[in-house]
Amino acid sequence: MDQLIAVENLTKTFGKRPVLSDVSFVVNESEVLGLIGPNGAGKTTLFECLSGLLPTVSGRVTYRKQPLVQSQRNKALFYFPDGISPWSEQTVNQMLQFFQQLYSRTRERLDELMAVLRLDELLRARLGTLSKGERKRVMLGLGLLTPQPLLLLDEPFDGLDLRQTRDVMSLLRKETSSGRTLMLSIHQLVDAERVCDRVVLLNNGKTVAEGDFAMLRAHANLKDGGLEEIFLALT
Amino acid sequence: MLIFVGLLVGQGFTTAVRLYAEMSGGGNGPAALPQGLTPLDGILVPTWGAYDLAATLLFPFVAIRLIAAEKESGALKLLLQLPGSLLTKLGAKGVALIFAWIVSWIPGIAAILLWKSYGGHVYCPETINLLFGHLLRGLLAAGFAVAAAAIAETAASAAIVTLGFTVGTWALDFVAAGRGGLIQQLATYTPTAALRTFEHGLLRLNIVAVILLVSVAGFVLAAIWIHPGRTRRQQTVWTTLLMAVLLTLSVGATKLRASWDESENHRNSFASADEQLLKTINSPLKITVYLSPEDPRLTDYEQNVLQKLRRMMPDLHVEYVAGSQTGLFENASDHYGEIWYEMNGQESMERSTIEEVVLDQIYSLSNINATARQDQSDFPGYPLNAQPKYVALLFYLVWPVFVALIWWFVRH
Repeated sequence: MDQLIAVENLTKTFGKRPVLSDVSFVVNESEVLGLIGPNGAGKTTLFECLSGLLPTVSGRVTYRKQPLVQSQRNKALFYFPDGISPWSEQTVNQMLQFFQQLYSRTRERLDELMAVLRLDELLRARLGTLSKGERKRVMLGLGLLTPQPLLLLDEPFDGLDLRQTRDVMSLLRKETSSGRTLMLSIHQLVDAERVCDRVVLLNNGKTVAEGDFAMLRAHANLKDGGLEEIFLALT
Repeated sequence: MLIFVGLLVGQGFTTAVRLYAEMSGGGNGPAALPQGLTPLDGILVPTWGAYDLAATLLFPFVAIRLIAAEKESGALKLLLQLPGSLLTKLGAKGVALIFAWIVSWIPGIAAILLWKSYGGHVYCPETINLLFGHLLRGLLAAGFAVAAAAIAETAASAAIVTLGFTVGTWALDFVAAGRGGLIQQLATYTPTAALRTFEHGLLRLNIVAVILLVSVAGFVLAAIWIHPGRTRRQQTVWTTLLMAVLLTLSVGATKLRASWDESENHRNSFASADEQLLKTINSPLKITVYLSPEDPRLTDYEQNVLQKLRRMMPDLHVEYVAGSQTGLFENASDHYGEIWYEMNGQESMERSTIEEVVLDQIYSLSNINATARQDQSDFPGYPLNAQPKYVALLFYLVWPVFVALIWWFVRH
């Protein structure tokens, strides 16, 4: 697979406290790349640095092997944070239509997303009145309306029930089959194992391992076992 | 905010109309001289005073919410990634704020129309000038509040900063009264003092320019602080640069001398014959005033003479010598009450603060033979003994119900 984004030696500090130290990894075209790591590993900070929302001390990001400066990041990627509750006074329908028109997406595309994410029943509801799971579905819908080649999703399955999680996973797989690349920060390793092609394991702000599950297993000197065993062995 | 503004305007308008009727001889009371009855002072300024209050205590919080709510909800992180430059996005917010500010004028405009329906007089130039002053007042409040919301971590902190700024400008107004020098010049541009100029029917280019500069700087400052990916050091450097540019441009703007007296009774101007004579004087004039800031004579002198002289004589320097007279151990100096005029190496002293006497002093120093003055005031005054009909119905019932209906319609 071709390289879409390459991150080299990304370093970020809050004051004197290092949060990310020389983080490097590659995102390939049309893959689902999982970002896993314990709490406080720096996953959200990494996403915010990648999207250009936070400044970095050093590091380099390239897009299709060309340097991608901070001010141009929103041309190549879009980041949907976890735990946000934006535009609480707007209805779901207003926000979906706003994103559809802003990015000139077709009505069919919007209808498809609404059907899979079961947003039809929420159209008249205000964002501020939605439950955590409902809001997550709406945010996913908005995220999937954006046109950037790479979509960064922070905890996309958080708040979803089992059926919804499976539906969203198949939707995300379908996205990658149509050429889009996804990078997902996931703390449920079972979910990560199900949906991701490859994984970047972050611990204490450092890249501990990167690759598909076979490579990670080899890196952890494990003959078998799932992502949980790999995670425990490497962190 | 819309409902509160309606109630405030209604209250201000009712009181103003009743007082105006009393001044006009209503209730068998003695009538004031007709020339003293101007709808600008009697009706428009007190009614629209509600908007000064709203711009100080209500509108900034609307502006703060526009930024702070997006920061706190996480919407800002999405907004910053959407297409379009940050300044465009902030500009759109600014336009929305000003639109909301103008929508809030509906009760004020309704009050003017009610006044007309009572048979009241409205002079368009001074009314438009007053509305323009309130527009700038709203813009300034929006600019400062947006900047505070962008810099502060929370809406509450931004509100404290904004209120602190307002109280600070009030203190500056109070301290600067009659002091002269830089502090008095600075106080000319506080929101309250700037609006007062428009309330007097005067349109001063330097005030318009400074308010516009500060307002735009507020939005630019907000852009600096919410710009994604900037370090605190970069934000500080850009802020310092912006402040330097703002200071330079503002100092330049204060030098703009053009002003227009839009009041119907030309209260900000001397008689035209005097203005023609004053324009022929090119020599610098120095006035030394031995009056304390709290002396009412100084207030009269400032409002009736110095403000007009500053418009006509570019090379006027005023020095305020006397300090406070209210302190327990302070005594009046020997010169207290004197006003000294110095021009072309000649000096003269006069104690009067009456316009004609002061002008004669200046003409005498500049060797100009003033022609005999005639009372040129052709302002008839507009007494009106009217009662505030329909005010309670309109402002206390129709307007709140109308706002509530619009709110309900928007929400459903």
